[in-house]
Amino acid sequence: MSRRVFLGIFGNEEDILAATRAAREAGYKISDVYTPHAVHGLDAALGLRRSRLPWICFLAGLTGAVLKVWFEFWTTMVDWPVNVGGKPWNSLPAFVPVTFEVMVLSAGVTTLFAFLVVARLWPGHKPALPQPGITDDRFVLALEEADAAFDAARVRRLLEKFHVVEVEEHLQEEAA
Amino acid sequence: MTSEQFDLTPAPQTVGLFRAFAALGGLTVLLGLFLAPQRMWPDLLFGSYALLCLGLAGLFFVALQYVSGASWSVALRRVPEAMAATLPVGAAGLAVILLVKPSLWPWLGMSWQAAEGYLGFKRVWLSQGFFLARSAVYLAVWLAFALAIVRTSRQQDASGAPELTRRNIRLSTAFVIIFSLTFCLASSDWIMSLEPKWYSTIFGVYNFAGLFTSGLAAMALLVVWLQRTGALKHSVTRDHLQDLGTLILAFSTFWAYIWFSQYMLIWYANLPEETIYFIRRAHGYWKTLFLLNFIINWVVPFLALLPRGNKRNPRVLVTISIVVLLGRALDLYLMILPPFSGAQPVFGIWEAGVLLGTVGLFALVVLRALRQAPLVPIGDPFLPESLHYHA
Repeated sequence: MSRRVFLGIFGNEEDILAATRAAREAGYKISDVYTPHAVHGLDAALGLRRSRLPWICFLAGLTGAVLKVWFEFWTTMVDWPVNVGGKPWNSLPAFVPVTFEVMVLSAGVTTLFAFLVVARLWPGHKPALPQPGITDDRFVLALEEADAAFDAARVRRLLEKFHVVEVEEHLQEEAA
Repeated sequence: MTSEQFDLTPAPQTVGLFRAFAALGGLTVLLGLFLAPQRMWPDLLFGSYALLCLGLAGLFFVALQYVSGASWSVALRRVPEAMAATLPVGAAGLAVILLVKPSLWPWLGMSWQAAEGYLGFKRVWLSQGFFLARSAVYLAVWLAFALAIVRTSRQQDASGAPELTRRNIRLSTAFVIIFSLTFCLASSDWIMSLEPKWYSTIFGVYNFAGLFTSGLAAMALLVVWLQRTGALKHSVTRDHLQDLGTLILAFSTFWAYIWFSQYMLIWYANLPEETIYFIRRAHGYWKTLFLLNFIINWVVPFLALLPRGNKRNPRVLVTISIVVLLGRALDLYLMILPPFSGAQPVFGIWEAGVLLGTVGLFALVVLRALRQAPLVPIGDPFLPESLHYHA
């Protein structure tokens, strides 16, 4: 199945911010916004949820730290007790540096891979750009035709209020 | 923009409250020096050093912004600049102790025979004349930098000359380098040498970590208060608060890292002359305070400030800043008081009075300094960038 996408191409970031806000308020389904650089306030204009990656980072760090402490207790007390300088077997202070490193490693690597999955950036994945080169030097708002009430002329009028440079219609293959 | 827009008129009750605090503190000190000198002198060192550190934290923050070319903080820079005004007050308190009661440092006046076991270097380093001369140099250098940097910043209000920013960048670069060396030495001289046989090479860094975390917390309190009462209403946003919260989170964690580094190496090596410091602090009721210190200086701020929303929430930021400042007081208490109060910690009217006095004096001095210049550095070329800052 394919879907119809309208691309509004803008010349600067103020216009795309205002157009994005207006399109969302008018109830259009925004499939994405493409910009050559990070635009402040675009997340809010798009009405995006906060990313949940920090939670993944926190939980992965916590899991890594807990597992590491358990592992160190197990190795030094249960499996192979070694007397180091007359210290007790379960010497927590000695475990802290390694626990800290494992926590950072576990949190960092998990967050990286979680991000790659969420952003669909795994190897061999084809970029889902409506046009090649769309992120080079233009600010593009992609609106999706979501239902029968979608009126191409009205969309064009809305975008023209924000000095749209060009409006293109585009058929996009539905991502599986 | 005119400078009148940014004038500060604190409520008379606020000023009255802090005047009462300061007066109460002053009275406690005067009475204590006669009635309980053995407790008052260490308490006075606690108060003076705390004030001095808050002033240094303000000045170091300003210098750091200039050196790193940061523009986000320009809108709130007058707050750390005003904090630097507490430097002379802390310095005066310390000077009184150094001149009137140098025997607070137990090695002073010790005979060469009694000094047995001290390395040759320590004998030279810890001699009264050299010690006093060093202290004078530290204080004079910091005061000179504070004066120069704050004055240059205020000059810019009228002229707006970018040359003044460049001058402050040069001054700040010199200050950051000199401060890092002198503060490490000063904290070792004034605090570590209270227990002269003990030593820790990370002590200066540890003191810096506490200084900067608590300085940021004090800044956050002042900024939220100024924003609430209207003076900084339109110039400081939640994005600025988020950055302050992030810095508190980062430096609290830095403090914990250094705290643990100091503890772990001494625990691991287990040398009697080093462990004595922690044995004294990790037994009896001291142990409760010792653990509490770590919890309120790191565990609480770390967990509370992790979520983005909390860093942007003035109420959370204020609560955590108060926790961090209490943590700083406890940290200093644990550094300074144990050799004087012996087996169990003491906290009574003298300590409470000095604590109140320190808070009152800090607030009064900062409020006075805040009123000496427009609350926003209106001549700074980076001000517009700071006003439109997004975290």
